Amino acid sequence: MNVETRHYAFLGLFVCVGLVMVIGLRPGVPVTADTQRMFAYIDSLPGGSTLMVSFDHEASSLPEIQPLALALLRHAFSKGHKLVGVAFLAEGTVIGYRLMQKAAAEYGRKYGQDYVYLGFRPQHVAAILTMAESVREAFPQDYLGHDYNEIECLRTVDSLGDVAAVISIADGSTTTYWMEYGQSPERLLVLAVVTAAMVTTYDPYLASGQMHAMVGGLRGAAEYERLINRSGGGERGMLAQSAAHFYVIAMIVVGNVVYFKARRKRAAS
Amino acid sequence: MIGPGTLIAGLLTIAILTFLYRDNPVYKFAESLLIGVSIGYTLVVVWSGTLVDSLFMPLFSDGRYGLLVPLLLGLMMFARLIPRASVLSRLPIAVLIGSGAGVAIPTMLEERTLKQMSATVAPLVGASGWPDFSAIVIVVGVLTTLSYFYFSRAHAGLLGVSARMGTYFLMIFFGATFGYTVMSRMSTLIGRMEFLLTDFLGLTG
Amino acid sequence: MGRTFAVGICFVFGVLMFVQYFSPHPAARTVHRTVSEYWQIIFAFGLLIGVVAVLRSNLRQLRWGSDRPYRLVTLCGLAAMPILALVWGRGIDSPFMWMFENVQAPMQSTVFALLAFFVVSASVRGFRARSVPAAILLVSALLILLSRSALGSAVLPQLSDTAEWIRNTPSMSARRAILIGIGLGSLTTSLRVILGIEQTWLGRRS
Repeated sequence: MNVETRHYAFLGLFVCVGLVMVIGLRPGVPVTADTQRMFAYIDSLPGGSTLMVSFDHEASSLPEIQPLALALLRHAFSKGHKLVGVAFLAEGTVIGYRLMQKAAAEYGRKYGQDYVYLGFRPQHVAAILTMAESVREAFPQDYLGHDYNEIECLRTVDSLGDVAAVISIADGSTTTYWMEYGQSPERLLVLAVVTAAMVTTYDPYLASGQMHAMVGGLRGAAEYERLINRSGGGERGMLAQSAAHFYVIAMIVVGNVVYFKARRKRAAS
Repeated sequence: MIGPGTLIAGLLTIAILTFLYRDNPVYKFAESLLIGVSIGYTLVVVWSGTLVDSLFMPLFSDGRYGLLVPLLLGLMMFARLIPRASVLSRLPIAVLIGSGAGVAIPTMLEERTLKQMSATVAPLVGASGWPDFSAIVIVVGVLTTLSYFYFSRAHAGLLGVSARMGTYFLMIFFGATFGYTVMSRMSTLIGRMEFLLTDFLGLTG
Repeated sequence: MGRTFAVGICFVFGVLMFVQYFSPHPAARTVHRTVSEYWQIIFAFGLLIGVVAVLRSNLRQLRWGSDRPYRLVTLCGLAAMPILALVWGRGIDSPFMWMFENVQAPMQSTVFALLAFFVVSASVRGFRARSVPAAILLVSALLILLSRSALGSAVLPQLSDTAEWIRNTPSMSARRAILIGIGLGSLTTSLRVILGIEQTWLGRRS
């Protein structure tokens, strides 16, 4: 067996995170202004408002984004909002349907009446441009094959201007297209639920007001779960995430100490 | 007793994790299966979700014969697979590229450039009458970073100083992005480990 | 089909979609809706081509190439999904859904999770404060990592505030500059494509 230095580093991470997860403590996290803003907006909407939820992510980011997506869906359903689901990435199609169904069942929400899942369209720019004028034209049928006109919760939705906001659940740049192409002819309010890796990418849009609110990552999920008083994957992962972060910091420090020692030695010799 | 789905998912998860030691037949099997299943899944979703709903149903059930045009253009795309006939695919590609470029011009200008510029031009003096430090940092950061990307002149003199400062702002951004990316990757790992420890091995509640 | 004809079509559609953006006229709205619909359908065919290309490549490899058992596994996986969807549908409890949830999604997320380990390996071996810019990058990363952990922010709340300021001010300003640059670059590239100056999308001249 050929064990290299990196294998010890891998094993260290595995053991560190695994041990902490077995301990199972759940440290509370303070809620940041960004998460509070998202929560406040959804909470402030009149009951029965229609929100579009766009599942623009892949299965690869599911462990990170699912807790946050679920927390948001739960909040929206608990407030009696109507949700219209769409997907612009193929994998998001099945994931989105499953998540909406799961959250809806917890609050006794009925398909067709309280929520609907329209399905997938491959070209997001064309789909958003079409929906800006007519959602019916972009999705003549829903994911289950029902005609658009037969679906109760879509009766008040002709175009994107008829939804209170769109929640883009993304692990890539699809949220950008909602902000850029969804602004004509109606100004569209965009809320972003993203992986942590995309947070710094979208910061300028948040600062300029093109995006109304943004929550990111597992930490965002833990904060949101605290706000809705409902435990979930975010809260469960916080201690493990702390352990992982400290492990990475330790590796960086060790690497730099070794580097500077070697540099000093070379300079001395 | 774990269900067959959890068992399969657990075994395949471990198969992928074996790559951490080195590339091996178990990992290669899992990887090949993943590629095949992913492509098959995409095929189903694109066919049933888009082509049936947006093309075949309206065309054949509702009599919207105008959709014969995109159907023909779409079929012409397949000419790419036949080297001698590949020139036919230029027409649908031209439609895609031209349309995309056309809508991109006003969008890029307004949403990505002008709005960001106007957000940068914020009052540099706060309501209290004192300079707003953050607003000043933002203006300086945007201008110096933009100056770094100006390569039509050598980065010397005032431009050199500005570009150097821009580099520092970029390093802060890359560092922050790295930190958030580490957070993101660790979250995915935690999710998979939670599945292994809780659902697959039953070691945690 | 001549390059000139293709470039001409590109110009026509580019100008059409550019002009309709500014016009509320019903004819412009019709153009917008029609072209968007065409776009969606042609793009879907483009995805199908990718599937066919992979199928062809794997069949060729199966006949003459190496790693034949793995090519066979790929082809079986590729065939299984449409067959399952065709026979049992795509419903919530269907075999198609089961394959996605128990085969594809776990493997896909685990592949991504591997990156966590490689980040650790890179942190030990590559992340050095060799220069002032590298040190700035390092400090910025460490601050974010500490502040975004539950324990770090609990022990030192000021850390969170500092990290938030770094994210919302200097980091955001650099990203904004990059965005402005990308916006201007995309604008000029789009103009070049529509005007036929940029023809790389046509492929090499034969």
